Amino acid sequence: MSDVNLAAPADPSTVKAPDEKRSLGTEWLRQLALPIAVLLLLGGFGLADQRILSTYNLLNIAQQTSYLALFAMAQMVVILTRGFDLSLGPTVSMVSVGAALSMAAMGGADANGLLVVVAAILGGFALAGLCGLFNGIVVAFLGVSPLVATLGSMNITLGVATTISGGRPVQGIASSFASFFYTGTVFGLPAPIVIALVVGLVLYVVLSRTVFGRSLYIIGTNPQAAAVAGIPVKRLLVYAYMLCSGLAALGALMMTARTGSGQPNLGGTLSLQSIAAAVVGGTSLAGGRGGVGSAVLGALFITILSNGMNLTRIDGYVQMIVLGAIVILGVVIDRLRLETR
Amino acid sequence: MSSTVALPAHNTSSASRDILHSLLRVGLLPLLLLIVVVGTSLMSPYFLGWLNVLNILRMASFLAIIACGQALVIIAGGFDLSVGAVVALSSVVTAKVMAALSTALGGPELLVAVLGVLAGLGSGFAIGLFNGLCVSRLKVSGFVVTLGTMSATAGIGLLLTNGIPVYGMPNSFVKAIGRSQVLGFPIAIYIGLAIVMVIAFVQRRTLFGRYVYAIGGNQEAAVVSGVSIRRHLVGTYVLSGVLAALVGILLTALVGSGQATLGGDTMMLQSIAAAVIGGVSLRGGIGRVEVVAVAALFLTILSNALNLLHVDSRLQPIFLGLIMVVAVALDEFSRRRMSSV
Amino acid sequence: MTTAEGSGAPKDTAEPLLVLSNITKRFPGVLALDGVDLDVRAGELHVLFGENGAGKSTLINVISGTFPPSSGSFRFAGRDVGELSPSEARTIGISPVFQEFSLVPSLTVEENLFLGRESATGGFLDTRAMRHRARELIDELGFDLDPKARVDRLSRAHQQMAEIAKALLGKVKLLILDEPTASLTERETGRLFELIAKLKSQGVGIIYVSHRMREIRALADRVTVLRDGRHIKTLKAATVTDGELVELMTGRRIDVLFPTITHTPGTPAIEVENLTTADGQVAGVDFVARAGEITGIAGLVGCGKSELVRAIYGIEPVAEGTVRLRGETIEKLDPRSSLRRGVAYFPASRGAEGLALTRPIRENVSMAALDLPRYQRGGVIRQFAERALVKPIMETLKLRPPNIERAVGNLSGGNRQKVMLGRAMARDLDIFLFDEPSVGIDVGAKVEVYEFIKRLVEQGAAVVVVSSELPEVLALSNRLYVMHHGKIAALLEGDQRTEQNVLSSFFEEEKREKAA
Repeated sequence: MSDVNLAAPADPSTVKAPDEKRSLGTEWLRQLALPIAVLLLLGGFGLADQRILSTYNLLNIAQQTSYLALFAMAQMVVILTRGFDLSLGPTVSMVSVGAALSMAAMGGADANGLLVVVAAILGGFALAGLCGLFNGIVVAFLGVSPLVATLGSMNITLGVATTISGGRPVQGIASSFASFFYTGTVFGLPAPIVIALVVGLVLYVVLSRTVFGRSLYIIGTNPQAAAVAGIPVKRLLVYAYMLCSGLAALGALMMTARTGSGQPNLGGTLSLQSIAAAVVGGTSLAGGRGGVGSAVLGALFITILSNGMNLTRIDGYVQMIVLGAIVILGVVIDRLRLETR
Repeated sequence: MSSTVALPAHNTSSASRDILHSLLRVGLLPLLLLIVVVGTSLMSPYFLGWLNVLNILRMASFLAIIACGQALVIIAGGFDLSVGAVVALSSVVTAKVMAALSTALGGPELLVAVLGVLAGLGSGFAIGLFNGLCVSRLKVSGFVVTLGTMSATAGIGLLLTNGIPVYGMPNSFVKAIGRSQVLGFPIAIYIGLAIVMVIAFVQRRTLFGRYVYAIGGNQEAAVVSGVSIRRHLVGTYVLSGVLAALVGILLTALVGSGQATLGGDTMMLQSIAAAVIGGVSLRGGIGRVEVVAVAALFLTILSNALNLLHVDSRLQPIFLGLIMVVAVALDEFSRRRMSSV
Repeated sequence: MTTAEGSGAPKDTAEPLLVLSNITKRFPGVLALDGVDLDVRAGELHVLFGENGAGKSTLINVISGTFPPSSGSFRFAGRDVGELSPSEARTIGISPVFQEFSLVPSLTVEENLFLGRESATGGFLDTRAMRHRARELIDELGFDLDPKARVDRLSRAHQQMAEIAKALLGKVKLLILDEPTASLTERETGRLFELIAKLKSQGVGIIYVSHRMREIRALADRVTVLRDGRHIKTLKAATVTDGELVELMTGRRIDVLFPTITHTPGTPAIEVENLTTADGQVAGVDFVARAGEITGIAGLVGCGKSELVRAIYGIEPVAEGTVRLRGETIEKLDPRSSLRRGVAYFPASRGAEGLALTRPIRENVSMAALDLPRYQRGGVIRQFAERALVKPIMETLKLRPPNIERAVGNLSGGNRQKVMLGRAMARDLDIFLFDEPSVGIDVGAKVEVYEFIKRLVEQGAAVVVVSSELPEVLALSNRLYVMHHGKIAALLEGDQRTEQNVLSSFFEEEKREKAA
């Protein structure tokens, strides 16, 4: 990657502590910029179309956000380690198809009960785990750059997804599965929102309170220093990629429950969208900075944007352009943020 | 600069390792090529048929042209994911402009064709310029910028056509560029050869080529030596965009209509795969386009062979993905061996 | 030139070659140069002297056009210089030799020599002319250098030669040398000094950055001392004493730099037999370090001394040989198990290998100890315990200000080294491997590091100090190994530990290699 940095500061040891007060002020501004943008966006669309601010649509947005938030969190975990997972989208497709096939093998749509759900979950996570393991080993132990490693596994997972499904949707989603991941409610909250909340909370604790989470930040900030300090960098990288694939698999199961069938092209643009959400949320591509909050906010921003564009009948092709523009904007902002530090 | 500097004079086995290394670098690709050619010709009688050979050479030329641009970008330390989308955009733009001019002017077909081609190349130039400026001025990672432009460019292409093929190009253009042959070979092959040769010359004998190597090899050294980084970085992205646009035009002439589905992810992935298999280092500073062209030929033959041997087309991405990962892993491996000589 | 008063500079009628006045350079949040004056005459060797971070490298970067000064006037060869790019600087005759080489590793020596000023017509390279000129220049300099060799396949000393040759291609009026002898042997250094004398006689002005008193004595006409980005004084080299220079550099009197250490050698803590690393940088080394004493390893940059301790710690792959810790043979060397066995390693490059700069001091200190139950339970970090353990450690190390939540990137070099030392105190260790412990930190912090090492040894720990600074290893160590080209050239004990003996052992080793 060309991390062009011509404005090399002098000897780093000369860098004195910047003015603490000012950096605190800009830090607050940075923290609040995205929430404000989200509110502005919501307000703006609300002016264009009243329906957008209806309780029904807001709940709808929350539900849609929960899928993208999971994928953004997944992507964020590997971006923290200076990585990337381009295979996330195809992994979603592969898990969707795999889970549907394992349910079909258990008796299909007629079979009910916990067993089918377990089979689907096991099937899905097994496939995703393999993909994550592959990515992790190729990146950590073979020293291949994450871009190429996951570009490669993206092809492989795509091939697997279309091959095992024959390129057609796989029918036979059990109703217990659908209820567990989609139609069910807990205290009136739809299942997807509950799952995303729980996963977000757990991941937050893992990243901020465990040795594993702390180590991920250190690896992303300075991998060599992490190795010298005795952190098992390679092993943890493998775990990070597996965690990423696992979270993607969970999102894939939720999406499969929603669509009611295993879809070989369910992943579509999710790699791009998840990177966009993570980056817009403030996860730094330079590694070591980001968190659950930023990933969720980024996902919320993008979901509101596309929800609003859908309701205001903006062309799907235009939405592709907007998504691309947001990715670029996100990295430019990330860059500026690094420079003002 | 690597901190582990080799002491070649003090190691007796360095010569034999050098031979092993050069075998790995130079010998592997022709060897693989030979295996695929011999193997397939034994198994399929159609493989060495004249029409199939011409088809392979034409497709290999397309891929080689794009891969040359991609290789230059990677040698300078970047990445261009937008090439596939540029192929589509230039196809659409060329066809639209020609169709519009034909109806508006009705005039000389040559003028219409030239203006159409210029418009197509111009669209590639614009996208490349945008990528290059983002990377060199805003100092953001080329990978993410082009990920963004990939989405945006594909969106523009689809928006212009609504996904429907564009007809109405002058017949003479389609005949002359797409279907005509010189000395028994399609024009595309000559264009491909010429471009590879010109760029091989540029790499060896021009300031631009030398500076691209220098920037990718050690950007800071290039800066303090007075090499203008921005101009040459922009140059590589512009060249990559224009070459992708050229392929878009050639494909348009071949199929006879402008299509927003040409190129796409496959072309982008294959161009990266060709560059990487052709020995271009993702760390920058190393790579020759003539080897990349051979790698493009290899990939084209491989996919043609898989088709002829009736391997499920859905399985083919798996091969591509695996080959890419293995090629980069081998490169990493031999690099480590080299530094430990 | 108010600051040069008292230096008794001869009043030349001609204007000096280079005149900088009131040069200021500001980086975001940092004032790197604050109103610096400097003049260099034709045929003069002018030494820039100062601690790391005093502004020397910023100043030479300004002079060579890498970045423009924020304000101030810059005259060269009688003309005012405005915006200056690196290539313009070369065109008007300013040629820098950087410490961090400005070479592109994947290009050949010849391609590097001409980088940025190739002979070309209309964008097309004239390779034949360049080849001819490169050969001519290398012969003229008397370097043993192949112009067609790729730079990444050269030894560090040869890369240094290529760098110098690159600076001397074309018309040079002002040559800038930034610690040019750091990786050269005695003989190569001698060759360089001859070259410098020749250039001076041709009227070339030279700016020379060095910490080595011996070189300053041998070469300098005048010395300019910088401190904290400010011009302190310009003096005539002939009349100034070493003590005065150090005092000017540090801004205070340093009476005793090295502490008196009582060594009480005990049982062997590290025993290395016939060790060869996978990259061949260490070849068949036998080495012993005992508890209760400091074992020094001296040698030039790239001689394998650093790789030796890195191999013992487990970050440099080992091809063959055995390592025993406290008599126990270690099968698998890796940082994690080394730490568990009580071995700590302090890397030479704290920025690259030591610290996670955007993370707080607390995390950097506890980083290597998170596997201990006092910091975590079942993988979950005990945050209060962590704070309670790290805070007193940094207090004993006199961290100023004592806030352990600040990001390490905001700290000075000395404070960063304290964070590294704090890391060693965060768990129980008794074997310490220091790789260039004083590089990049000021004299005050150096004294504190030496005191820290003294405490460790006197408490019975085994300490290994690897250093390119001869006075440092000579003063600290009880036994001193000298390495050359990956082998142990000598083991010096007691009175044998003199600068003369170290240098002659390089020479002996070189003669032996020649004979072999």
